[in-house]
Amino acid sequence: MKTPPEDHEWMRWMDGEMTPAESAAFEKRLESDPDLRAEVEQARHLTDLLRAEMPADMQVPHADFFNSQIQVRIAQESDSSRRPVAEGGWLRQLFRSVASPWGFAAAAALVALLVVMRPAADSRSADSTWVTSSYTPNPSVTAHTYHSTAAGATVLELDGLPEIPAEKKVAGLRVDHAQQDRGGQVASFHDATGTPLLVMSLDAQGRPHPWSPRSR
Amino acid sequence: MPSETAAPPDTDPAEDLDLVRRCQEGDTRAFDALVTKYRGRVYAMTYHLVHNETEAWDLAQEAFIKAWRALPRFKGDSAFFTWLYRITHNVAYDWLRKKKIQSREEFDDSRTDHQVAAGAETAPRQAPAPDKALRHAELGQRIRAAMDTLSEEHRQVILLREVEGLSYEEIAETAGCSIGTVMSRLFYARKNLQNLLQDERP
Repeated sequence: MKTPPEDHEWMRWMDGEMTPAESAAFEKRLESDPDLRAEVEQARHLTDLLRAEMPADMQVPHADFFNSQIQVRIAQESDSSRRPVAEGGWLRQLFRSVASPWGFAAAAALVALLVVMRPAADSRSADSTWVTSSYTPNPSVTAHTYHSTAAGATVLELDGLPEIPAEKKVAGLRVDHAQQDRGGQVASFHDATGTPLLVMSLDAQGRPHPWSPRSR
Repeated sequence: MPSETAAPPDTDPAEDLDLVRRCQEGDTRAFDALVTKYRGRVYAMTYHLVHNETEAWDLAQEAFIKAWRALPRFKGDSAFFTWLYRITHNVAYDWLRKKKIQSREEFDDSRTDHQVAAGAETAPRQAPAPDKALRHAELGQRIRAAMDTLSEEHRQVILLREVEGLSYEEIAETAGCSIGTVMSRLFYARKNLQNLLQDERP
């Protein structure tokens, strides 16, 4: 039996849209109609091709950063809706979220790192990383850097931060290497095991947004 | 036996509704959970439409931001993911319209150049034989080119049915049309693709 050109029955059967009774009746018809069987086989093959080439679920590059950027944008929108006139711009927003002086130090370092670090071609080598200039958003804080051969690391020193009480233990983050992705718009800093310590991005206005994977 | 649907979204409507309710109260952590749950599917959808990793990433972000803005108006008349897919499609198609990249003639090979993040897993665990890999790549490119020749409406129903595995009713909700229109579009879209990919017939 020739299948009518716009017969949607095979499609409803193939797509699981039939009731059990309809399905049973169609399967009987299928047994006796080679044209219909061929039609179904071709459609099924197309489905297999499409599903093989176009998975329904894909791994999002920088998935955690994907989430954090959404949170940043939501926070920005929420902030701007509460205060129509920006108070102090992005730096104030950045530091408002950092309550402690040690957090402030980390945030200051983050901004400085994004601006000044220029990983060489072999960015995994500490010896090949250098600092071209320094910048701190807070004028009372000064930054300078040097390469410590003994430590095998580039050291960033920040002067002018609030004094840290002696009883407070401060553990530094050891950045082993840095990577830049998405045309230099995203920089990530990793420890020796490759675990990301810090991720920073530039928004459309070139403003840096830091994010610590360890805080998640 | 009817063909199985594509892997259905791992959705628990009650859990989604609870997260949505918390979002509507301003809980951004609840929204973060929804993003984590659906980001892979939203990203896949935008990627299949624009064939570019960077653009797909940005469009997926935009879809979630628009969803966040629209959440106060979400009444729960449809499943959250169906609603989210509709937003994602609108975002992606707005972008496509602006870029005017809907015809096969305009298909640009450079759009398949992926900017893969350093350190990302890119190599298959077991490298296929070169001829097989080439054939695979050619087939993928042909399928993408064939998809690009479809009209916007036909491409949408193919993606929602064949890739996302949505039911006709869910597709109708997402596309904003009747189930009869969904079936008609799906029928002709499949026929067009079969003709374009006839060398791949079994």
